[in-house]
Amino acid sequence: MEPIIEIKNVVKEFKVLNRHEGLKGSIRDLFSRDYKIVRAVDNISMQIGQGEIVGYLGPNGAGKSTTIKMMTGVLEPTSGEILVGGNVPYRNRTKNAQEIGVVFGQRSQLWWALPLIESFKILKDIYQIPDADYDAMLNFYQSLVDIEPLLHKPVRQMSLGQRTLSDILAAFLHNPKIVFLDEPTIGLDVSMKAKIRTLIHALNEQKHTTVILTTHDMGDVDALCRRIVIIDKGKMLYDNDISHLKQFFGSYRTLKIRIKGDLKQYAEEITGKLPECSVSADDEWVSILVDESKSTVMHVLDKLQKDYKIRDMQLEEISTEEVIKKIYEEGVK
Amino acid sequence: MKLKKYVTLTRAGIIESLQFRMSFLIMVIGNLLYLTVTYFLWKAIYASVDTDVVNGMTFTDTLIYLVLATALNGFLEMYLVWDIGRSIQSGKIVLDLLKPMPYRRYLFWSYSGSFATQFLFTFLPTFIIVSVVTHGAIPLGINLLWFVLSVVLAIVINYSIDFIIGTVCLYTESIWGINIMKQVVILLLSGATIPLAFFPDGLRTVVSYLPFQAIYNAPLSLLLHADPDMQTVCTTLGLQAFWAFALTLISTAFWNRSLRQITVNGG
Amino acid sequence: MKQKGFGFYFRIYLKILAQDLKSKMSYRADFIISTIGMICTNIAGFISFWILFRRFPSINGWGYYEILFLYGFSLVSLTPVQCFFDNNWSLRQYVYSGDFIKYCFRPINLFFYFQSEVFDVKGLGQLAFGLGTLIFAWVKLGLGCSVLMILKMIVFLLTASLIMISLQNAAAATCFWIQNSFYVMDFVNRFRDYAKYPVTIFNKGFRFIFTFIMPIAFIAYYPSLVILRPDAVPLLSWISPLIGILFFFLSYKFWMFGALKYSGTGS
Repeated sequence: MEPIIEIKNVVKEFKVLNRHEGLKGSIRDLFSRDYKIVRAVDNISMQIGQGEIVGYLGPNGAGKSTTIKMMTGVLEPTSGEILVGGNVPYRNRTKNAQEIGVVFGQRSQLWWALPLIESFKILKDIYQIPDADYDAMLNFYQSLVDIEPLLHKPVRQMSLGQRTLSDILAAFLHNPKIVFLDEPTIGLDVSMKAKIRTLIHALNEQKHTTVILTTHDMGDVDALCRRIVIIDKGKMLYDNDISHLKQFFGSYRTLKIRIKGDLKQYAEEITGKLPECSVSADDEWVSILVDESKSTVMHVLDKLQKDYKIRDMQLEEISTEEVIKKIYEEGVK
Repeated sequence: MKLKKYVTLTRAGIIESLQFRMSFLIMVIGNLLYLTVTYFLWKAIYASVDTDVVNGMTFTDTLIYLVLATALNGFLEMYLVWDIGRSIQSGKIVLDLLKPMPYRRYLFWSYSGSFATQFLFTFLPTFIIVSVVTHGAIPLGINLLWFVLSVVLAIVINYSIDFIIGTVCLYTESIWGINIMKQVVILLLSGATIPLAFFPDGLRTVVSYLPFQAIYNAPLSLLLHADPDMQTVCTTLGLQAFWAFALTLISTAFWNRSLRQITVNGG
Repeated sequence: MKQKGFGFYFRIYLKILAQDLKSKMSYRADFIISTIGMICTNIAGFISFWILFRRFPSINGWGYYEILFLYGFSLVSLTPVQCFFDNNWSLRQYVYSGDFIKYCFRPINLFFYFQSEVFDVKGLGQLAFGLGTLIFAWVKLGLGCSVLMILKMIVFLLTASLIMISLQNAAAATCFWIQNSFYVMDFVNRFRDYAKYPVTIFNKGFRFIFTFIMPIAFIAYYPSLVILRPDAVPLLSWISPLIGILFFFLSYKFWMFGALKYSGTGS
């Protein structure tokens, strides 16, 4: 498959002033020339194919937005190469802009005072969308979500959910090859999140649009992404299928059991009996994390049943959320 | 310590205004340039009449008056109306109302930090430069004390007027229109752009009964008289105190009333 | 992709303008208050002017009606910057909050896209005042009327507008470097007030600055010479249209340079 985005050894550095604390520090800063170099993106390479949905993940301040700004042509990389649809985004910003769509979190790019349909009409002119394509796109939108009530409402009167929805529709309007979605579901309620995920999924499927999605909501990732890229402190930690990630950590499962009596004490006892597992207890459950490459849950359960009267049990697969948390905290070994 | 929480706000304000170091530099340089330009303009104006004294003011008097008025304007104009208006529109006002002190007081002390920086970095240097350039034309005596007292009262009066206008923003979204009206009325009627001495008699009498002249004209005329008689000082300061008191009451009452109305009706 | 020429941008501007006006009409109260504010500003300007010239019949050899002519001239030439480039005043907030980035993703000229977002109707009120003043002064000066003169007038008004626009662009663009550029804009705005006085009142140094560095002398003085003092028009007056275009181009480049360098704060 021909890659639509190619990133090779990209580095981005910023120069920031070292600020000092307190009143004295502020006065000193007035004259200070004490700068430090911060490396926001550190040697990142990846290739993304047409039609992929890639989850671009990382803790706050990891360098996600910086990477996206470089791919959209707003920032120039300090070193390295970026090609988006054959363009160097920074050098051909307007040409690149024609091929991409961007939704940046809670920052609406629509005309605040105008009804959505008027924003659409202006966008139609700006992107020079032919009438037939424009009408077809609106019809397609109508088949996905009920846009009729949104069209005649000024953006400033919309709820956050409606606004996000409108922004996403506006980003796809000129049928771009790539759409960047930066935290599209932030602050939305459960049903709106579901609606937006369905919409993105459908647009990707029908229009074969590449979608780069950054989010902190693993629900988005589970619902949309097959591939995820994780960065932290500017460095790439992981780039592969999400199923691979789960396999990687999936050998862990958590067995939870309920026994009558002091659970904390049982937890200590069990730790002694099962040195290969990590055991903890809360008010209701004793949780045993089993590494299935060393032992099996059935085996552990068997062993425990001999000594204790187990009244109830649960088995938990590790969730994407936990895997990601583990990676943020410990990295990939 | 009750005072402490207010002083903390002052300190935060100073730190915040120092963060923008370039703007700060520009502000200082800008003021100096502006002073020079004012100098040339009035020199030309005075050069085109035969007498040295116009309306009881010499060129030096007028220059000092206008330069210091500009410097005072630098720290009296604090864009309070914009701040109130914006936080009402964005809904941020709710957070400010939750602070453990009355909103009016909270804002006043938040601004006190920039009063302090502005006073130190723009007014004081201006004052010194003018003093030196005019070879000590500003009398340095008891009048300085009256001046400082008068400026403090002017700050209170100006703040109250701003706060009243800011309260109007609860009723309308047109911050720009309201603010510009306030600004031009104050600048003209307070004698900030042209000394009140130049006004025609009828207009001057009307203006002297309005609170605006207490902001610029009052402190500056106290400053420029080396040894004013006690009666003038008392009248000027007394009138200022009256306005400060009255406007504080009015602004507080107007705010509380408006706020109640808004919270009852839902904002 | 089709070529994006003048026609393309013109069509888009008209479309946005029409929509913008439509939505503005729905905030009638805001519109009325802003208009009143605008009228107040102009009236206050006239009152100051009148008070000043009641006492001083001329400045530096320029008579009452001549200065009034300069005043009207500067008001008219202010109109385009007020109407079409008013979004410059909001630039620093967009940059400060990081929202400026939203302008960077469209396949059209960034400067155009940003400025097209706001059309300020109030500027038209200013135009009316300015034209009124200009015609009044014109008649009082007995300048006569010919096609050539009106043509000259239009060319030189456009020149002055270009200078105004350039100054504002450049001042606004400083926010890409110094965060709080309000002081710079305020500074330029204050100096703009001096555009209505003849530049000859300044000494050599300032005359040079106001001609070549901060070209406010081109806003009213040099262009007006062509009409008011047709016998002694300096070369600078004749080439002022070229200078206007040059400054506009430079300010545009400066603005764009800042915008592209801009990295977007936060998130």
